[in-house]
Amino acid sequence: MEHKVAVYICTGCGIGDALDIEELGKVATSENSVPICKTHPNLCSQEGVELIKSDIAGEGANTLAIAACSPRVMYDAFDFENCIVDRVNIREQVVWCQKPNDEDTQMMAEDYLRMSLAKVEKMELPEPYQPEQEVSKNILVVGGGLSGMTSALEGAKAGYSVVLVEKEAQLGGFQNNVKQKVTFPYKDVQDNDIDNLIAAVTGHDKIAVYTGANIEKTSGAPGLFDVSIKANGSTVDHKVGAIVLAAGWKPYDPTKLDEKLAFGASDNVITNAMFEEMFKEEKIARPSDKQDVKNAAFLQCAGQRDPNHLPYCSSICCLTALRQACQVKAQNPDANVYVVYKELRTPGQAEDFYRKAQEDGITFIRCQDPEVKASGNQLTVEADDELLGEKVVLEDLDMVVLATGMVPVTAFGPDFSMEETEEGEEEKKKEEEEEDIIADIIRRSDILNLEYRQGPELPALRNDFPDSHFICFPYETRRTGIYAAGCVRRPMSTATAMEDATGAIMKAIQCVELTSRGAAVHPRVGDLSFPELFMQRCTQCKRCTMECPFGAYNEDEKANPLPNPTRCRRCGICMGSCPERIISFKNYSVDMIGSMIKAIEVPEEDEEKPRVLMLVCENDAYPALDMTGLKRMELSPYIRVIPLRCLGSINLVWIADALSKGIDGIILFGCRPGDDYQCHFITGSELAQYRLAKIAETLDRLVLESERVRVEEIAIIDWERIPEIVEEFMETIEEVGPNPYKGW
Amino acid sequence: MSVKVDPNLMKDLKEFGLTDANKCFHCGNCTAVCPLSTPENPFPRKLVKYAQMGLKDKILQSPEPWLCYYCGDCSDTCPRGADPGETMMVMRRYLTSLYDWTGFSRKFYTSEKFEIIAVVVLGLLVALGLWIFHADSPNMEHAYINSVWPVESMEIADLIMGGVLAILLLSNTARCFLFVLGDLKSKIPIKHYIAEAKELVIHLFTQKQFSECTDRMQWIVHLLIMTGYSTVFLMVVVFLAGGLDIIGLSWEKIRFQRDVIYPIWHPMRLLGYYATAAILYGTTYAIIGRIKKSKAPYKNSHGTDWMFLILLQLTTLTGIFIHFTRLLDWPLTTYVLYAIHLGVAVPMLVLEVPFAKWAHLAYRPVVLYLTKVKERYAREQQAIAS
Repeated sequence: MEHKVAVYICTGCGIGDALDIEELGKVATSENSVPICKTHPNLCSQEGVELIKSDIAGEGANTLAIAACSPRVMYDAFDFENCIVDRVNIREQVVWCQKPNDEDTQMMAEDYLRMSLAKVEKMELPEPYQPEQEVSKNILVVGGGLSGMTSALEGAKAGYSVVLVEKEAQLGGFQNNVKQKVTFPYKDVQDNDIDNLIAAVTGHDKIAVYTGANIEKTSGAPGLFDVSIKANGSTVDHKVGAIVLAAGWKPYDPTKLDEKLAFGASDNVITNAMFEEMFKEEKIARPSDKQDVKNAAFLQCAGQRDPNHLPYCSSICCLTALRQACQVKAQNPDANVYVVYKELRTPGQAEDFYRKAQEDGITFIRCQDPEVKASGNQLTVEADDELLGEKVVLEDLDMVVLATGMVPVTAFGPDFSMEETEEGEEEKKKEEEEEDIIADIIRRSDILNLEYRQGPELPALRNDFPDSHFICFPYETRRTGIYAAGCVRRPMSTATAMEDATGAIMKAIQCVELTSRGAAVHPRVGDLSFPELFMQRCTQCKRCTMECPFGAYNEDEKANPLPNPTRCRRCGICMGSCPERIISFKNYSVDMIGSMIKAIEVPEEDEEKPRVLMLVCENDAYPALDMTGLKRMELSPYIRVIPLRCLGSINLVWIADALSKGIDGIILFGCRPGDDYQCHFITGSELAQYRLAKIAETLDRLVLESERVRVEEIAIIDWERIPEIVEEFMETIEEVGPNPYKGW
Repeated sequence: MSVKVDPNLMKDLKEFGLTDANKCFHCGNCTAVCPLSTPENPFPRKLVKYAQMGLKDKILQSPEPWLCYYCGDCSDTCPRGADPGETMMVMRRYLTSLYDWTGFSRKFYTSEKFEIIAVVVLGLLVALGLWIFHADSPNMEHAYINSVWPVESMEIADLIMGGVLAILLLSNTARCFLFVLGDLKSKIPIKHYIAEAKELVIHLFTQKQFSECTDRMQWIVHLLIMTGYSTVFLMVVVFLAGGLDIIGLSWEKIRFQRDVIYPIWHPMRLLGYYATAAILYGTTYAIIGRIKKSKAPYKNSHGTDWMFLILLQLTTLTGIFIHFTRLLDWPLTTYVLYAIHLGVAVPMLVLEVPFAKWAHLAYRPVVLYLTKVKERYAREQQAIAS
């Protein structure tokens, strides 16, 4: 595309009062010979927008640098079709956080305009990715339990064809064992109505149900998945656009429990899941001799919230125990029923059922560590009651029910990443050298059998749940187009599972729709750019295929990366990973950011105006910076900010470029890495830190001090801290002294 | 030490009026807001736990129910509607039944039918007795009670009743004393009991603890009823014949039952008026409160609560009527009313004082006193230890 650049400077919101607009305009007109440069007192008004539109129509302007407010606001006003648009943030990040009509403020605004002009020069209009094959909008749902069936039904109701695969011979999942349940409005026990759902699913003409089936292979990418389903001895292939994983859970193996809980020592010590099976078949009776239950104790958190077993809370066992206790009471109102709990957790309206259980006369004992003693048919529970401060003894118990937790089905099977290192000594060594990042846990749990370079199943975030971030990105796994729902994602009640299933199918629908338009899914929804590889220069180093947090790249036998653009979330992490810099997007590239850095004017040493480059994550840190402006907090006038799609897209060449140009320091704002990460692209900030750990090499080569480069973790709420952090860094730079490369 | 849980106690306590204690989830807000709860004797949550767990022995040794005056702050603050104030009230009823060795109290509290029958039968017996045992020639021209039931005989009846009541109440109080002391009964030296004796008197007459509750109206009403009742009790039991006439120790000038009405300024008459007004105001306030369920302490009314108020008010009202009929000099009406008056008053005293609500006039000051004694002893032990 032939670039016809136009610059627009807004003088509203205090910009005109704080800057010499005419001088600013000269950066465009004189320095860069931009043919169109206009100012307007209120550019986002209809009149202002019309001004731009008339230039697009009349003058053929197609590359617009709009110097006004932050790109995070007014994006709908400045949305021009078929135009490259860059927003120069001279409001929040210049006039609102700098001294008005100051020389340094003017220099800052001018630099930002220069950087923008350098940027747009390197930008191209992205063209949506259109695969050769037709994009499928069908959805595969894996797991025919409550969550899976709800997902399938909701998807079918929305008009999408759904393929439902269930491992067992009939639909229903764990709920098949559950005769009664407690759900909205949580006032009393209700009959389980799973049969109605099964009937609705099997009767729906848009749902193809496979029972007794498993998935032999899933290859491809969103919109283009090829799934081989093995059922009744034959294999069927389906083409689907997105996948909902609702494969469910298994109860924690009670034989692994602490001996104190006496599982196995007596037949009368059972688990909550065993209680369900018993109650489904017949009435509640003492397991050993089928006598009536007169005294029963329910012990909560058996092997849960315990670092030696399940470290997490399964969230539903308290409600389940309350229901089971009420069921014992309903069968025999004279029975003495005890619930021994660590903390009773009945989230939301389930609290009402807790109250009912109290009113039914269940006795509650708060104890962190109860002990079961078995002698013959009779059981005794000893518990230190924290509310009483004394040991409580429950004697003559006919039954003890242990609340074991939920384990996602993805938690079973050997870890794929461990296998890989065992393959060959040579490769192992090489990987040890290069790979300091702990590989994701991917277990061969025989659920999806993905043909992905990074492993055959979904990577786990924590405790083997294949979620990515349950607050920020619910349902999203780390494989684009595959969404987790129900208890495979996290332990949950039936009511939550149904909500979850609906949410996940919604995500799957969004995925097939966006993919069919060549657009990215969450979090860069609608982004049309995608990575393009200049393969002639590829060295098969595998960095991109290994580092992509979403497993977007497959590999051929020669270790050449095979990109799957519909799996891509457009974070640019691969772009940062590539030592040969062969990966770029139409509107985001190593060269583009490099040119922006080179566009910064670095004053001579004797002017005593240092320059600090800030490479900032645009998801959290950039809005935090805007916030400091919005709050009119003053920032150093010597900083120059460049937003990045993700700090993980950082390429070390930019650091070298900046330092060799004479820029005195570089500060990087990223998100918190690790288990409680806040990165939109999961491992982005972790990778950035990992790469920067190797910056010493670059600095040594340039004979520069390592203090010149620093990484800071900035959450969106940290805006208050930013001026302090920047000021402190400026002091460090002053101590270290000016960059000796100035003026080269 | 380990304790055994007894879920059946909750069912038993239901008979004493417990309704909502099972809703408690032990957040402790009640104990936090209670102006009377102390770190040494925290309540009411602790007692709710004892109730839920069925720890009868612990309840028996607990002084806390008597430290509570039921202002209702805890029940108003309870996030779960567990009404901890009511639990404390139930505990007082339950403890009264446990202190009572005759077992009568328990029947009285747990069966409304028994309660009503006991009151009615005793009332009728009193009326019958008065019918049978009256002087041969009642004065039918003037309302002279002494001509029907001479004060000397009435005093003897009074003393017999007083003696029986005292034996019952004191024996029950002694049990209360021993239960509350628990293991300390042989340990605390006598000097501590003496040193704190004034507390017993102070609490008996002022209920100053109650004044620390947020709702001071309850304290005032309680004080009115208590002082009014005590006054009238002294007048009808101790000074009926102006002292102990039977052994010749009496002073005619303060005799309560006499045929010539005192002049309006006479202290006995003025005291009588005060007592009448105080009880009438107090009981009316409480009855209206209980009907309207105006505040937490009045929300749940046990049968014995009503019986107590009704008997007290009926006694007062019949007393007022007698006063008027005497002023009007209507002999027959006076005598009939007198019989009714005693038919109401005697059951109130005989049943309520040792076995029911009135017993707290002994238990509460004794427990408060013991608490002070225990604290004093604990302080001393601490001083020795350090």
